[in-house]
Amino acid sequence: MKYDVVVIGGGPAGMSAGVESSRNGAKTLIIERNPFLGGILKQCIHNGFGLHYFKEEFTGPEYAQKFIELVNKEKNLDVLTNTFVTKIDGTNVEITTEFGKKVVEAKALVLAMGCRERTAGNILLTGSRPSGIFTAGEAQRLVNIQGKLPGKNVVVLGSGDIGLVMARRLTLQGASVKAVLEINPTTSGLRRNIVQCLEDFNIPLLLKTTIFEVVGKNRVEGVYYGSVDERYNKIEATKKFLPCDTIILSVGLVPETDLIDMQINPKTKSVFVNDYLQSEKEGVFVCGNVLHVHDLVDNVSMEGALAGKNASDYALNRLKKGKQYALSHSTEISYTVPTMIHSGEGTAVIKFRVRTKITKSYFVLKNAKGEVVAKKYVMACLPGEMQTFEVDRSLINSNLVLEVAGL
Amino acid sequence: MQKVYDVAVFGGGVVGAMIFSDLSRAGYKAVLIEKELDVATGMSKANSGLVHAGFDAKPNTLKAILNVRGNKMYPAVCKRLGVKLKNCGAFVVGDNLDAVKELYNRGMQNGVKNLFVLNRKELLSALPNISDNITCGLFAKDACIVDPYLLTICLAEEGVVNGGAVALDYQTSSVIKKGNAFEISGSRGKILARRIINCAGAGYNDIASLIGSEQYQTEFRRGEYYVLDNSEGNIVPSTVFPLPTKAGKGVLVTPTVDGNILVGPTSYESDYDTKTTDFGLQDIRAKVPLMLKNVNLSKTIRVFAGVRVITGDDFIITNSKKVENVCNIAGICSPGLSCAPAISEYVIKKLLGLEYKAKADAVKIKPYLRLKDLSITAQNKLIKQNPDYGKIVCKCEGISVGEIVDAINRPIRPVTMDGVKRRIRAGMGRCQGGFCSDKVARILAKENKMKIEDVVKEHKGGYYLFGDLGGR
Repeated sequence: MKYDVVVIGGGPAGMSAGVESSRNGAKTLIIERNPFLGGILKQCIHNGFGLHYFKEEFTGPEYAQKFIELVNKEKNLDVLTNTFVTKIDGTNVEITTEFGKKVVEAKALVLAMGCRERTAGNILLTGSRPSGIFTAGEAQRLVNIQGKLPGKNVVVLGSGDIGLVMARRLTLQGASVKAVLEINPTTSGLRRNIVQCLEDFNIPLLLKTTIFEVVGKNRVEGVYYGSVDERYNKIEATKKFLPCDTIILSVGLVPETDLIDMQINPKTKSVFVNDYLQSEKEGVFVCGNVLHVHDLVDNVSMEGALAGKNASDYALNRLKKGKQYALSHSTEISYTVPTMIHSGEGTAVIKFRVRTKITKSYFVLKNAKGEVVAKKYVMACLPGEMQTFEVDRSLINSNLVLEVAGL
Repeated sequence: MQKVYDVAVFGGGVVGAMIFSDLSRAGYKAVLIEKELDVATGMSKANSGLVHAGFDAKPNTLKAILNVRGNKMYPAVCKRLGVKLKNCGAFVVGDNLDAVKELYNRGMQNGVKNLFVLNRKELLSALPNISDNITCGLFAKDACIVDPYLLTICLAEEGVVNGGAVALDYQTSSVIKKGNAFEISGSRGKILARRIINCAGAGYNDIASLIGSEQYQTEFRRGEYYVLDNSEGNIVPSTVFPLPTKAGKGVLVTPTVDGNILVGPTSYESDYDTKTTDFGLQDIRAKVPLMLKNVNLSKTIRVFAGVRVITGDDFIITNSKKVENVCNIAGICSPGLSCAPAISEYVIKKLLGLEYKAKADAVKIKPYLRLKDLSITAQNKLIKQNPDYGKIVCKCEGISVGEIVDAINRPIRPVTMDGVKRRIRAGMGRCQGGFCSDKVARILAKENKMKIEDVVKEHKGGYYLFGDLGGR
């Protein structure tokens, strides 16, 4: 099998990349391990998707369906479901299916494998290791796909969006959600989810609080929990017992880089890319949550489209780039994607997050001489919210720094 | 008339399973009695997975003699079972040359071959990331790593295919001598056996009290571990120990046969409780950099703890003086795994006075199939025969539906999710089952013709989920 572009992953990033690549004239293949396209959207049956991309509110499966229809319309676009990529070699991939293993050759590759959830082991959750500890996504799949109830008396650890959504979902299914514990002084989920999923259901949110110890031999019987100090040390004097049969973990997402053999950026836990979303490996483009974990699927779709466009241009020998410069950032900013940026034609998109809450300031992009190349006013932004900054490539002629400046 | 077994073995850990298998292969009728839902659920599932060379134990102790002998026996045992054994060697490193030499001499007295005292320069060529304070070390070429739970499972299976019986989930309530046999009563009916071997690990004294045989003062010491992602698998080529102290062999760093890294254990007095603690994990975190520089604990995928059962300085392996035809095996802490084949040989030959040699028609088990260990051609051939081998369920470890189905349809069928995990590693990888445990639970339920609501993780009552939405 030979294609111009192969996209690994049929979630929102991969579908969008595949559609864009095909529209751009490249013979494209999307490889998906599940029996269906849509990725994790399929189990996100709550609403709130698509407001930015479609200017209309959808549930996850509805949003996915919009893209599945776009995929189906494309003549240049093939889809392989129930197919696992077991190896990446340059821009070629080894796939495993019920029909055997084989190699698919491609001129360009788009990596869109999404992310995975951090586990009890990742966060060094201590105590016993009984049945009844789920990641939020796993619990969500049990409820929304399999129609099974993972627990009746639930403690949610972490305030990630899936955890908040699951607190509501389990409450609606008759479970009692005892509390959501967040070790940080601020929540990591979206504000709207705090209101709609916790406050509307009177579920207590305890900040600067975490599980000290899991109790239970066979099934979870409860947790010892309490407060932490500024350095995240557990304050023993605050320790209390909370009976429950289930712990749901919503403690962060990590890009799914299993198949990627490249240098990893410790900040994004993924690879370094330039403003064409091209990695250090020739012909390999990266987008969506495997590149950096997004807050909104709308942004994932847009990033996927950009990767699909550039990958197909690359495969068809149409990708014209100017000179490459480095993009760094000041300490108020926790990371940027990309970390390399080109001069030339068109607009480069910079995505980033701030380290702490920023109000009434400017994001400014400075060149090597310290001159402001571009700036953007920011009313207020939180670390949980991904920021976007666009810059005209014709203005770029040196290494750049992204900074926060007062008014 | 009810069948009378030649031997009843209490305890489905590595020692019990080894004895059970060896007896069965020698033609005796043996029964392995285990209180949990699966074998290998106690100490045998939660240890460092090391086959020590044998330099550490005090000369002339059972620990020393059986370790050196066990180490020699391991390759043949693992080859027979198709269980991975990796002869990667072990280093002991420190800053005290006298202590290293003492270990070397002790090893020599114990009859350990292939021991080498190394200086820092020599150590650096094998372990480029040893800490700056390390000046010398010992290399034991014969040390190996093994998968301790798969080994135990395969041994128990081997006993079964050679005519033995396994009674799982068997809560023993009484053991009464009737004529020339013991009548064992428990939650799953009566078992008659002429001889009893009590190697019930943490449950030794409970069983001994039912038999009326010797009980021993027991101390439990908890050992906590970090398991690192297989991305870290190459940080050390061999097991690396610090110089031992009174508390034990110290916090080691070792590769596993499946490509992960284990860091641990701690050693604290405890109840029989396998919980992990902040204190213990912090202790390991503080100790490791004194030995190795490049151990990245932020790559942890799991933490766990096991409990050692200790009865004094040496193992207790003896015939009971109180009750005839009862053999007491107690206090099998480290290096129990290393000694297991030799303990079995010693018990069968010396203590029971039975034939140890396997019969000519002894049967081998079918080794566990892992597709990714095969060539692409061989994999494609298998997938063609059975498309389930091409349907990957556990993405982290690359395990297919077919491999899971095979792992369930074995001489001892796993009924728990952890049982599947220990057999075929589905859920053992970096996502820790986040993506696959519901699929594994469904396959397990289907193959065992049970409802998914009845599937448990490890212990009875440890249900995976609570039934359909809306209640049942």
